[in-house]
Amino acid sequence: MKDLGPVWLTARREITVRGRSKAFIIGLAVTILLVVVAVGLPRLLAGAPDRYTVGLVGAQSDRLAAVLGAQAEAAEDTELTVVNYEDEAAARAGVEAGDVDLAVVDNARVILAETPDANLRTMLATAHQVVATEERLRAAGLDPNAVQQAMQVEPLAEVSLTGTSGKEAGLRRMLAMAIVILLFVLIIQACTMVAMGVVEEKGSRIVEILLATIRPAQLLAGKVVGLGVLGLLQVAVIAIAGYTAAQFSGMLPELPEDTGGVLALTLAWFLLGYAFYAVLYAAIASLVSRQEELQSALTPATLLLMGGYFVAIYSVMEPAGTVTRVLSVVPPFSAMIMPVRAAGDEVPAWEIGLAFGLMLLAVLLVLWLGGRVYERAVLRTGARVRIAEVLRAR
Amino acid sequence: MLRIDELRKRYGEKVALDGVSLTVRPGEMFGFVGANGAGKTTTMRIVMGVLQQDGGEVRWEDRPIDFAVRRRFGYMPEERGLYAKMRVREQLEYFGRLHGMAPARVRRSADDLLERLGLTERRDTEVERLSLGNQQRVQLAVALVHEPEMLILDEPFSGLDPIAVDALAEVLLERTAAGVPVVFSSHQLELVERLCDSVGIIASGRMVAVGTVAELRGRERHKRLRVVLSDAEPGWADRLPGTIVAKDGDEVILEPADDQEVLRQAMRLGRVEQFGWVEPKLTEIFREVVA
Repeated sequence: MKDLGPVWLTARREITVRGRSKAFIIGLAVTILLVVVAVGLPRLLAGAPDRYTVGLVGAQSDRLAAVLGAQAEAAEDTELTVVNYEDEAAARAGVEAGDVDLAVVDNARVILAETPDANLRTMLATAHQVVATEERLRAAGLDPNAVQQAMQVEPLAEVSLTGTSGKEAGLRRMLAMAIVILLFVLIIQACTMVAMGVVEEKGSRIVEILLATIRPAQLLAGKVVGLGVLGLLQVAVIAIAGYTAAQFSGMLPELPEDTGGVLALTLAWFLLGYAFYAVLYAAIASLVSRQEELQSALTPATLLLMGGYFVAIYSVMEPAGTVTRVLSVVPPFSAMIMPVRAAGDEVPAWEIGLAFGLMLLAVLLVLWLGGRVYERAVLRTGARVRIAEVLRAR
Repeated sequence: MLRIDELRKRYGEKVALDGVSLTVRPGEMFGFVGANGAGKTTTMRIVMGVLQQDGGEVRWEDRPIDFAVRRRFGYMPEERGLYAKMRVREQLEYFGRLHGMAPARVRRSADDLLERLGLTERRDTEVERLSLGNQQRVQLAVALVHEPEMLILDEPFSGLDPIAVDALAEVLLERTAAGVPVVFSSHQLELVERLCDSVGIIASGRMVAVGTVAELRGRERHKRLRVVLSDAEPGWADRLPGTIVAKDGDEVILEPADDQEVLRQAMRLGRVEQFGWVEPKLTEIFREVVA
C-alpha cells in the first residue's frame, strides 16, 4: 500500500459521518448519562447528613461526649451536637421539648421520647460500652490506655500461594470483568458498523466509483481504522465522564497497582481482536447486497465472538481453570480471554507471548483471506455470493 | 485517445461482449447506443476496471490502462451510488480528494460544478433529502469534480428535466472543447444526434455501426425519397414505383426501386414541387442496423 492518503481520507470520512449521525450521538449521550448516574448515584442518594442532638447529664458525661464526638467524626455524613444539662429533670424537659433526640443520665439510663434511629443507637451503645469498660478498668486499678494498647493485635499476615491477597484478588476480578465487557461491546459494535458500511457501499454501488479510484485494500483499511478509532474515542469519552463523576462522588475505586499495565495490554489485545473480527465481518458483508441479508450472513462470526465472550466471563470466575488456560492461547478466543486472565492472575510471560504470536498469525491469515474475499465479492451485486466461489475465482 | 480492441466477456453461458472495438479521439463526444442488455454497461465497466474482461484490450494514449491512469478518469455508473448521509458539497470534496486533488482546488471545482448544475443552494443538504433529479446531478458532479482526462458516463441524461439536460450538455461540451474525450450511453437518440461527434451502435455484444453521425447517415442516405406534388389527381401516390412509407396530403415518403423512374412518373402525374432524399434520423438508422 504505497499511498496512505486514501486510507486516511476514508477513515476520516467514517469518523466524521458516523460520529455525527443521530444514532451515534444519542447512543453516546445515553451511555454517558447512565455511567454518570451509576457512579454519582450514592452521592445523590446520600442527601443531607444525619444530624443528632444528644443530651448528657451526670457522671462520665465528658468521656461520653468525647467518644460520641470521635465516632461522629469517623462516620462521614453524621453531625452530632452535645447539650449538657444541670440535672435529670432538665434533661427530661429537654427531651420532652424536642431540644435533644435523647438524653443519657450517668452513663446508666437513657431518656427517650421515641425510638432513635439505628445509627444513633449503635453509636450510643458503643460509647456506653467503651466508657463503662474504662471506668471498670480504672476501678480495678488498670490503665485503660495500656489495656487498649495491649488489645491492639495486628491481623494475620497473608501468605498467598497465587501471589495475590484476597482483597487484591477481588479488585482484580472486578477489573477483569470490566475488561471483558468493554472488549466485547467495543468489538461487536465497531465490527457491526464495519459490516453495515460495507453493505451500504456495495448495495448502493458507491463501491464502483470508489474502486475505480482507490484499491479495495485501501477502502477496507480506511473503514476498519476509522471505525476502530471512533470506537476508542467513544470509550475514552465515556471513561473520562465516569472518572470525573467518580471523583465528584468520592467513589473512585481503589485499583490494583499495575492497572496501567493491564489496560495497556488490553488495548493491544483489543487492536488484534478488532482487526480479526472487523476484517472477518467485512469479508462476510461483502458477500451480500442488502442490509436485510446481513444479519443471517454474519451469524457464524457473531457466534464465534459471543462464544469467546462467554468463555471470557467464565474465565473471570476461574482464571486458573484448564479451559481458561488452554483457550487463552487459542485465537481468536485469546483476544478476550488472555487479557482477563492476565488481569485476574499471574500469567507466565511465555504463555502471553505464545498467545500474542498465534493471534497475530490469525489476524494475518484473516487479512489475507478476508481481503481476497472482499476484493472479489464487493463488486458482484445481486444474489448472495458464495465464499467457495469467490476463493476459487481467478 | 481511447482505444477499445476486441473486448470479450461472458457471464457463464451468456456472451455479453463478442469482440467490441471502438476508438474515441481527444475532444470527441462519443454516443454509445444500443438496446438494453446489448453490452454498453459491460464495456464501460471494463474500461473503468470494475469488471475484468475475458479477452481484448483497452488502451489509453496507446498504453494499457493501469490504476494510476484510471484514477484520472471520471465515471458515472449505471446504478447510481452516493453516500445518503453525506452533504452534497462534502461528498464532492471527498471524491475529489480521493482522486488526489488538493483541498483548495477541490473546493473551487466543487463550487463551480454546483453552480453550473444549479445545486449551490442545496450544497449543505444531505443527499438522501434531495429529489431524484437532484441526486442525479450530484452523481454527475462526482464524476466531474476531479477534472478528469476522460469521462465514461452510463446514461447520464436519464431522469433529468430539460433544463438539467441542457446544463449537463453544456458542461460536457466544454470538457470536449478542452480536449477531453467523453463517452456516454443513452437511449435518447435525438440527444445523441445533437451532441455527439461519433456514435457507436451495439447489438448483442457486437458493434454493428461505428462512425460520425454523417457517416452513419451516409449508409442510409439514399434510401427514402420525399416527393411533393401539386395539381395531381387523388391517389397519385399509389402510381409511383416504390414502397410508400408515409403519406400526408401532397407529400409522400417512399423507398424507391429506381429514383429516376419515380421522378419521371411524378412529372407525369402532376407538378413536382419538391423532390429529394430524406436525411435519415439516428432513430431510423438505429432501427435499421439493429433489426
